Amino acid sequence: MRPQREYHIVVLGAGGVGKSCLTAQFVQNVWIESYDPTIEDSYRKQIEVDGRQCILEILDTAGTEQFTAMRELYMKQGQGFLLVFSITSMSSLNELSELREQIIRIKDDENVPIVIVGNKSDLEEDRAVPRARAFGLSQKWGNAPYYETSARRRANVNEVFVDLCRQIIRKDSEAAKSSNDPNRKREGPNRKRDNRRPKNRRGPCVIL
Amino acid sequence: MESMKPHIPPLKISKSNSNLSESSNDATSIPIRSYSGWGSSDMTPPLTPQNAQDTNMDQLEAPRPVFHNYLRAFYPFHPAGNVSPSTVTLPLDQGDIILVHSVHTNGWADGTLLDSGNRGWLPTNYCEAYDQLPMRPLLKALTDFWDIIRGNFGSSLKDFGNQDLMRGPIAGVRFLLEKSECLTRESALVRRFEGLRRIRKALLSDLSSLVKTAKKFQEIANGLPSEDEVEAILDEMLLKAFKIVTRGVRFLDVWNEEVGLGRTIAEMDGPNESSGQYSMPPTPASETFNLGENEGPDRSASRMLESRMDHSRMDMSRSSMRTEMVDPRPASVATKRVSVSHRMSVSGPSTAIVAQNLASERLGTTYDAFLGVLGSFLGFHMQSRSSMELVVTTQQAVEACKQLLNVIEVVCEHGTHRSAFLEQARELMWEKLSELVHAARDVFRPAQMPEDDLFFMVDEGKRLVGAATDCVRAAGNCLAKARLVLEQIGDLELDPEHFEEERQELSGVASPQDEPQTPVEEERQELSRLPPPPLQIPSTPALTDATTPSSFQSLPANSPANITAISSLPNSAILPTHLENISSFSSTDSNYRESHPKSDMSESFGRGITSNGSSFTYNSHARDSEMSGVSQTSTRATSPDIGGSFQGSFKVHSLKESLSYSTLAEENEETEANILEKTFAHELIYKEGSVMGGSLRALIEKLTAHQSTPDAMFVSTFYLTFRLFATPLEFAEALAERFDYIGETPHAAGPVRLRVYNIFKGWLESHWRHDRDNTALEFIVDFASTRLMADLPTAGMRLLDLAGKVSSVGGPLVPRLISSMGKTNTSIAQYIHPDTPLPPPILGKKEHHLLKQWKNGEASITILDFDPLELARQLTIKESRIFCSILPEELLNTEWTPKSGSLAVNVRAMSTLSTDLAHLVADSILYLEEPKKRAATIKHWVKIANKCLELNNYDSLMAIICSLNSSMISRLKKTWDIVSQKTKTVLEQLCGIVDVSRNYAVLRQRLQNHVPPCLPFVGTYLTDLTFVDHGNQSLRTLSTHDSEMTVINFDKHMKTARIISELQRFQIPYRLTEVPELQVWMQNEFVRVRSNGEITTQTFYRRSLVLEPREASRSANNLQSQSEPMPSMLDNAKDKFDFLSWTNHPKAKSVPTHG
Repeated sequence: MRPQREYHIVVLGAGGVGKSCLTAQFVQNVWIESYDPTIEDSYRKQIEVDGRQCILEILDTAGTEQFTAMRELYMKQGQGFLLVFSITSMSSLNELSELREQIIRIKDDENVPIVIVGNKSDLEEDRAVPRARAFGLSQKWGNAPYYETSARRRANVNEVFVDLCRQIIRKDSEAAKSSNDPNRKREGPNRKRDNRRPKNRRGPCVIL
Repeated sequence: MESMKPHIPPLKISKSNSNLSESSNDATSIPIRSYSGWGSSDMTPPLTPQNAQDTNMDQLEAPRPVFHNYLRAFYPFHPAGNVSPSTVTLPLDQGDIILVHSVHTNGWADGTLLDSGNRGWLPTNYCEAYDQLPMRPLLKALTDFWDIIRGNFGSSLKDFGNQDLMRGPIAGVRFLLEKSECLTRESALVRRFEGLRRIRKALLSDLSSLVKTAKKFQEIANGLPSEDEVEAILDEMLLKAFKIVTRGVRFLDVWNEEVGLGRTIAEMDGPNESSGQYSMPPTPASETFNLGENEGPDRSASRMLESRMDHSRMDMSRSSMRTEMVDPRPASVATKRVSVSHRMSVSGPSTAIVAQNLASERLGTTYDAFLGVLGSFLGFHMQSRSSMELVVTTQQAVEACKQLLNVIEVVCEHGTHRSAFLEQARELMWEKLSELVHAARDVFRPAQMPEDDLFFMVDEGKRLVGAATDCVRAAGNCLAKARLVLEQIGDLELDPEHFEEERQELSGVASPQDEPQTPVEEERQELSRLPPPPLQIPSTPALTDATTPSSFQSLPANSPANITAISSLPNSAILPTHLENISSFSSTDSNYRESHPKSDMSESFGRGITSNGSSFTYNSHARDSEMSGVSQTSTRATSPDIGGSFQGSFKVHSLKESLSYSTLAEENEETEANILEKTFAHELIYKEGSVMGGSLRALIEKLTAHQSTPDAMFVSTFYLTFRLFATPLEFAEALAERFDYIGETPHAAGPVRLRVYNIFKGWLESHWRHDRDNTALEFIVDFASTRLMADLPTAGMRLLDLAGKVSSVGGPLVPRLISSMGKTNTSIAQYIHPDTPLPPPILGKKEHHLLKQWKNGEASITILDFDPLELARQLTIKESRIFCSILPEELLNTEWTPKSGSLAVNVRAMSTLSTDLAHLVADSILYLEEPKKRAATIKHWVKIANKCLELNNYDSLMAIICSLNSSMISRLKKTWDIVSQKTKTVLEQLCGIVDVSRNYAVLRQRLQNHVPPCLPFVGTYLTDLTFVDHGNQSLRTLSTHDSEMTVINFDKHMKTARIISELQRFQIPYRLTEVPELQVWMQNEFVRVRSNGEITTQTFYRRSLVLEPREASRSANNLQSQSEPMPSMLDNAKDKFDFLSWTNHPKAKSVPTHG
C-alpha cells in the first residue's frame, strides 16, 4: 500500500454554522498571513494519521447552501463527511438529519464515515443545543463521533479531521480485507454488508 | 537573490576540488603579461601564514545566529590594498554601512556596501550590527527597496509606478529628522550647529535626487521602456537610496557628536588601549602603493582615484571627523563582538560549480557580459544626464570590452594563419573602445559646480553613445569572426596565463567561466584563500599579523588563483569537508583583494546561489529576524558616498571636489517641503508592492496620494468595501481630515484636495448606498459648504449639488453597474457590431402553435417539442438577466445567506433558478412511465446542456448536469441502458467540465481569460467570497519602530473586491432574441416544480424508486434490526419499506404522496 493516500472529505451543514472557518482553520498554514481560496491548493492539506501520511482534499459547500441541487455533486466525491452544526442553533442541528440521509442514499452505504461537529463552542453562553441532544444524535447514527469545536479558537479543529480520516482509513483496510469483492473501492454500491455489520464505530465523544 | 544586476559583483563560484594540504603561494611562478603596462612586473603574493586555525570552525557551529540587516564596519578592511569598488571581497572603511544579504558559517557575509553599491564578501567580525532607533524606518525602507528591486524584478515596474516605495525613504528621513529634533530648518539644533545644518541639507538633497529619479522612472515606465532602461534606472534609484541611508547614518553621527548624546560619546572617548593602532594602518596602505603607480593607464587610475578619494575625504572633513578616522575602536565594540560572532549561518556542504574553460564558451559569456553592460550603458545615457552611476557604468563597459578583446586575442593567437580578418576586427574594436574611453573622459570633464552630481555635457554624451554603439557593432563583428576561427581551428581550452593576464589588465574582470581549471595551481592556491575565520581575529586586528590586512604587500592578489579562491569562498565544498586539513586557514585575508568588476559577475553569482543555495542560511528574506539594539558606538562619519563608485579608466582628478561639494549642495526646497509633508505612510503594510493593510488615515492618504493617480482597483475596493471597516461617517471624516492636514504641505495640497473632492464625488455619484450612507450626508454637506467651498469653490458647489440630488433620488445617480470596476480593468466583451442582426429564434409555426394551445390550456408541451439550442438560449436569457442585476453589495459579508436577510435578492434568485432548473430536469424525466421516453428526454437535456456550454452558460450547465448525475436519475438503470453511447460520451465530457474536485480546477481554468458574454457558475464566487471572509482576519498587526498597532487588513478587502470584479466582468447581457411565449412556459414550469417545496428531492427519489425498483440482488438480513430508514442495499421488499421510511422523516410526515 502506498504510504501516501488522498482522501476526499466533504464538509456539510447549514449556512452560518462556521463550516468555512473550520475548513479554513484546518487547511490554512498558520504562517500564511493571507488566505486565498481561489487557487487549486486552497483546500488540500497533508496530515499524519497514525503514522501514515494522508492528503486530504476538502470540499466545502460554504456559501452555496442554497444550491441544494449541487449537494449531490459534492457528496458523490466524498469518502468521509463532517456534518457541522452550531451549538447556538437548534435548527442547524436538525438540518443534519436530512443531509445524512442524502449521503447514505448517495453513497449507498449506511456506515459511511461521518463525524458530527458542534461548532462555536466558544459561545457557550449562547448554547441552544444541549450536549445530550447531540449525543443522542450520535447514538442514533451508530455512534458517529461527536466533537465540539471552536474554529475561532482553533479548538479541536485538527481532531475532527483526523478522526474522520482515521475512519476512512479503517474502512479502506476493512474493504481491503474483504478484497474478493471487486467493488471494494469507494462508492462500490454492491458491497456486502455482512462484514461490516458487527463493527460499530467506536467513535468517542469528545468535548473540549 | 535570484536576479542579479550587473552592478552587483557576484560571488565567484569555482570548482574547488583541491587537495588542501598543499600550500598556496605559487602564484609567483605565473608569468604576467599585459596590455597596459600596469602590473607588468611579477608579483609575489603574501606568504600564507601558517598558523592554522581550524579550531575555530568548531566554535562556528555553536552560536545561535542572529541576522542583522545592516552592519557597520569598525575596522577598515582592505584586503589587497586594492580598493576597487568591484572586488568580490568588499573593502571596508571604518564606519561603512553594509546591507547584508546572507551570512555564511565561516563568518563572511555577503553584503552590499552602501557607500558604493558594491557587493561582495566581508568579514563580519570587522563589523557590528547597525540598528539605531532613529534610523530604523529608513533602514527598513531601504531593505524593502532592495527586496523589490533585486528580489522581484518582474513586479517592480508596477510597484514603482505609483511611487509607494518612495514614501518609505521619505517617511524614514522624516522620522530621523523628527527624532533628532531637526525636522525644520528653523529648529534650534539646526540653527545652532553648522555641521548638522550641512549634513541635514545634504540628506535632503539626496532625498530629492531619489524622488526625482523615481519620477523620471515613472515617466519611463509609463512608456514602453526597454529592459535595459528600466534596469539602469532601478540601479540608479537603488544607489541613491543607499546614499540616503549613508547620509542618514552620517547625520546621526554628526548629531551625536555635535548635539551630544553625551553618554555614548563619553564612553567612546574613554578607552585607549587600542588607541593609535588604526591611526595609520600598519599596512602598506593602498595609497602608498597607488601613488607610485599613478601614471599608469586606465587600470591604475581607479586606484588612483580611490586613494585620492580617501585623501579628499580626509581633507574635506572637518577636523573632528579626521580625528574620528584615527580614533580607536569604540569601546563598546568589544562588548558587541559577541553579537557579531552570532551572525553566522549554519551550512551544510555545498557543491561547487565546475567552471568550463573552453574558449568558445568564454567567448560567449564575455560577449554576453559585454552586451549586458553596454546595453545598460546605453540605456543609461538615454535617460540619465548626469550621475555618478553613469561613470561607473561607463567604466564597466570599458572593462567588459576589454575582456572580450582578451578572449578574442587568445583566439587570434591560436589561429594565427586563419585569423587575419579576426585580427582586423579586433583592431577595429580596439579602436572603437579607445574612442569610447576618450568620449567618456570628455563627457565627465568635471565642472566646478555645486551640483549634486557631475556635470554632463550633452554633446559629449551623444558622442559617447555613438562610441558605445560602434563598440557594440565592432564587438558583434569580432564575435562572429572569432567563432568562425574557432570553428576552423577547433575549440581550445584557455590556459591560466591568459586569465591572469586578463585580470592584470582588466582590473580583474572575470567572467563566470574564467576560472582556470588547471588543477595543480588551483589546488595549491585553494588553501590560502580560505577566509579567515572571523572569530579568530582579535579585538585589535593589528596584533596578529597573520590576520590583519597588514600582511599583504600589493598586487599579487590579481593572480588567477586568488580570484578562484575568493570566488569560492563561501561556497567552496572544501569548507565543510576539509577543514581539518587546513593548516593556514585563518591567516589569509590579505589574499582577498581581487577585484572583479560587477558587471561580469552577475551570471556566475546567480548560478552560484542556485547551485549552492544550501550554504546561505540567512538570505535577504530572513529579514524579520531580530534586530538587537546596539548602542551607538562608532562616531566616525561615513565618508561621502562618492568614493566607492568610481573606478579606473578616467582621470577624473578634480571630480572628487565637485562631488564632495554635493554634500554641501544647496538645500533643495522641494525636498524640504517633501520632508515636512505630514504623512501616515508608515502605517501601511506592504507586501510585494501592494498594500496589505493600514490604518484608515493611511489608507485614505494612499487613496488620495498626490504623486500618482490612484490604482483603479484600489479605489474600487475602497468604494465597495469601506463600509466593512469604517462607518460612512468615519470615511467622510477621514477624507476631510486628509483635506485639512495636507494644507500643511503647500506643494501637495492642491492635487490632494482635488483628489479628496473626487473621491467624495465618485462616492455620491455612483457608489452611494442609501441604506448605509445617508448618515454621512449631513457631514458631507457641511464639509462641502465650508472647507471645500473655501478652497475650491467650484468643487464645493458641485459636491453640494450632488448631495442634494442624492438626498432626493432613491438610487445611485449613475447606475452602479455602469461604473462597476469589473468593466474597467479586465477584458471586454467580444466586439459585435450593434447592427449585426440578432440570431433568429429557432421556432417554427408548429412550436408557436403549440405554445398558443398550451396558453389556452388546450395542449401540454414538453421540452422535446423545442429545439435544444433555442431552449438553451431562452434559459440563458433568463439567467443572464438575473445575473446582470447582481449588485456588488449583495456579495459582501455573506449577505446572500438566509440569515442575512433580503438584500441579496439577485444572488438568491440565481440559486433559486439554478435549483428550479435542476428540479425541472428531474421532473421531466421522472414523470415519464416509459424508459424509452425517459431516455429520449435525458438525451434532449444532454443536448441542451451542451448548447449551454456553447453559449458559455456554465450556470445552467451546472444545474442540468447536477440533476442528470443525481442519484435519483443515475440509478435508473433500465433507462440508461437505452441512452445512446454518444449521448453518454457527451455527458461524460460535460461532467468533466463541472467537476468540483481540485477546487473546480477545470471550471476555473475555463473562466480564466474567458471573453464575455458568459454566465459563470455563481456558486464558486460565493464559496470564494465566504472563504475570503472567514479565512482572513479583519485586522493586521503592524509593528512600528517602538510599538505595535492594529490596522485594517486591506488585503482581505482587496481579495473580496477582486472576486467581485471577476464576477462583474461577466455582467454583460447576451445578444439573443427573447421569445416571450417560451419564457412564459418555462417560468410556469419552474413555478410548478418549485411548488413541490422542500421535499422535492425526496419526492423525486421516491418516484425514482417507483419507476425502477431496486434490484433483488441484495439480502435483507438486516431488515429487522433497523429502526431507522435503510434506504439502500436492500432487496425489493426492503425498497417498499424504505419508501415508507422516507415518509417517516419529520419533515415529510404529512406528505405521503407519491407518483
